[in-house]
Amino acid sequence: MAAENLMSYLQEVDLGGTFPPFVSFEEHFGVVPNLFRAQTLLPRVLECEAEFMGAVLFKDSILSRIQKECILLAVGVECQSNYCVALHYQVLRSLGVPVSRLDQIVINYRKAALSTSDAALLDFATKLAMRAPWLSREDIELLRDQGFNDESILEAILVTSLASFLCTLSTGLSPSPDFEPRVIPTSNHTSPPKAAYVGGTGGPYLRAVERSPESFPPFAIFLERFGFIPNLFRAQTLRPDVLEAEVELFGNVLGPKDVLSHMQKECILLVAAATNLNTYCVADHCEMLHIMGLSMEEADQIALDHHEADLSKETKALLDFALKLAGRRFRIRSEDIDELIGHGFTEEHILETVAVTALNNFLNTLQMGLGTTPDVKPRHVYTLKDALPTLAEEYPAEGAQIDPDASLVARVQAGDLEAFEELVIRHSRRVHRTLVGIVGNVQDAQDAFQETFLKAFRYIGSFEGRSTFSTWLLSIASNTALQCLRERKSLESFDDEDYVEEFHPRFVRAWGDNPEQLYSEAERRGLVERAVMMLPSKYRVVLVLRDIEQVSTGEAAAALNLEIPTLKSRLLRARLMLREALAPHFATSAKRMGS
Amino acid sequence: MITCSEFMDEFGDYLESEVSTKVRQQLEDHVAHCRTCQVICDSTRKTLKIVTDSGSFDLPEAALKPIVDRIMAKIRTDQGYSNSF
Repeated sequence: MAAENLMSYLQEVDLGGTFPPFVSFEEHFGVVPNLFRAQTLLPRVLECEAEFMGAVLFKDSILSRIQKECILLAVGVECQSNYCVALHYQVLRSLGVPVSRLDQIVINYRKAALSTSDAALLDFATKLAMRAPWLSREDIELLRDQGFNDESILEAILVTSLASFLCTLSTGLSPSPDFEPRVIPTSNHTSPPKAAYVGGTGGPYLRAVERSPESFPPFAIFLERFGFIPNLFRAQTLRPDVLEAEVELFGNVLGPKDVLSHMQKECILLVAAATNLNTYCVADHCEMLHIMGLSMEEADQIALDHHEADLSKETKALLDFALKLAGRRFRIRSEDIDELIGHGFTEEHILETVAVTALNNFLNTLQMGLGTTPDVKPRHVYTLKDALPTLAEEYPAEGAQIDPDASLVARVQAGDLEAFEELVIRHSRRVHRTLVGIVGNVQDAQDAFQETFLKAFRYIGSFEGRSTFSTWLLSIASNTALQCLRERKSLESFDDEDYVEEFHPRFVRAWGDNPEQLYSEAERRGLVERAVMMLPSKYRVVLVLRDIEQVSTGEAAAALNLEIPTLKSRLLRARLMLREALAPHFATSAKRMGS
Repeated sequence: MITCSEFMDEFGDYLESEVSTKVRQQLEDHVAHCRTCQVICDSTRKTLKIVTDSGSFDLPEAALKPIVDRIMAKIRTDQGYSNSF
């Protein structure tokens, strides 16, 4: 695409056709991606990015370029980065990967007929990119089980961290795509289930080799600048060439103080690491700010809430922007850029802020992938409680992803029939209630019961743990029951628009304080079952799921393929109809009847 | 003061405790003055409790084993249902 079509937020400077980074990008991408054209205000940043990408992505190594580009594509999809997806899709295409395979990776890589080792690689990468604090040694072991050695796992972590870096840059700079954009599904969170919050300091997970600062220049540089060699870099010694490129990148992005000050850059790194719940990086950046002259309490306050810290309003606005960008789940709009310009920042300031934030996301991802233990004692250990409310929604609630059936499901997937029998027994009562409630009679429910479990067995190989097994099974049961109703033509109106009529209650006599005491347990059950069976099927179905099975509104809507407002309005209707049906039996002056 | 019809518009969310404090207050003010809506609100809540606690459509324990056995026998003999990955 020609440079004048560039729609980036920032202006482009002509660096000439022989600018070495551009020559390198052209050779390895087939074009100079607009993402890099959008950074021409700071050539020093481009130069080290090119070196760095050369070491991590372009250079021949254990993982193939196709494997690396697949990681970049899959992470781009997870981050909803239209720009990155279009770029890596095209690169993979030019490397000979069929379009049909690529389209499937964009929709859902798990159904793209990848080898089990490649699928495991993408499972790992997407989890590291999107749910890093939940990554543990177990995830590393899963890769080792697939034959990956420590050198190749380090590469996978580096490429995933590079993907975070590129996605953050593209969100912040908004370059127009170099190639035809692909449609990215919006709800493609493919993180594996059954993960507990780890926090990223449970390692180091990989083998490293000793290197001495006397003979290894990058370590000499760290020693000189920080006074110590951070564990994060000690953990990457299997790739000395990458360490050299990283040192260059830090030097060129963080070193100069002609645009943003060192203090501003450290503050950006601190708030961005805090929003990523990265205990290790927060501790190091607090230490750096302390060395720069802030008290530990001041540094803590910036990490906790920079609005309450003793900073200028301009710096606070800059940190707001960095925080929004680091979270990756927000869109950056041109208004955000305008606001920074309104605070007196130049385009160079903004570009450097984006680059520092992208570097932060690279570091945070890398650290959680390697699981390095802190260099200094953390003053605060980050947990899910520290997540911004908007991000907490995206993260799994503590323990919410632990599916009690996960190990049984895994055994069935490995061919163990006994494990399936256990699942049937565990869920039979629940499935039975759902089916009888929906189809409305016991005989048909028994046929649907068998059908439900046979289907579950048939498709369990493709169950991916995006929901719990229980929810997945419920959805199969509801669909089977609805199909049964359709065959009996008793559900003609199920999918129709609801005819909304005014509600006119017939029984308005009050009920006593403990109406249930009017009848025995068996009598109550009989009354309820008969009343539920009398409801029109489309109302009965929602009431059974919500009030008898007690599944959430969202789960019920998903299982029945209804919009939530439709589900809610049918549920209210069903509850009111049921109230009318039960009122003659339970209202205060009710005589015992019909029991 | 809101009308009965407005009350019914919010009633579903009210039962689910999904209304704002302000709307909740309006609904409760209405119920305090409207006998019909008060009865409907109270008896609907009681209906839900009765339904939820009723154990409706539960499968009797004795009926479970033969059904499970039948399913497992079908799976074991049915080559058509091979596990597909």
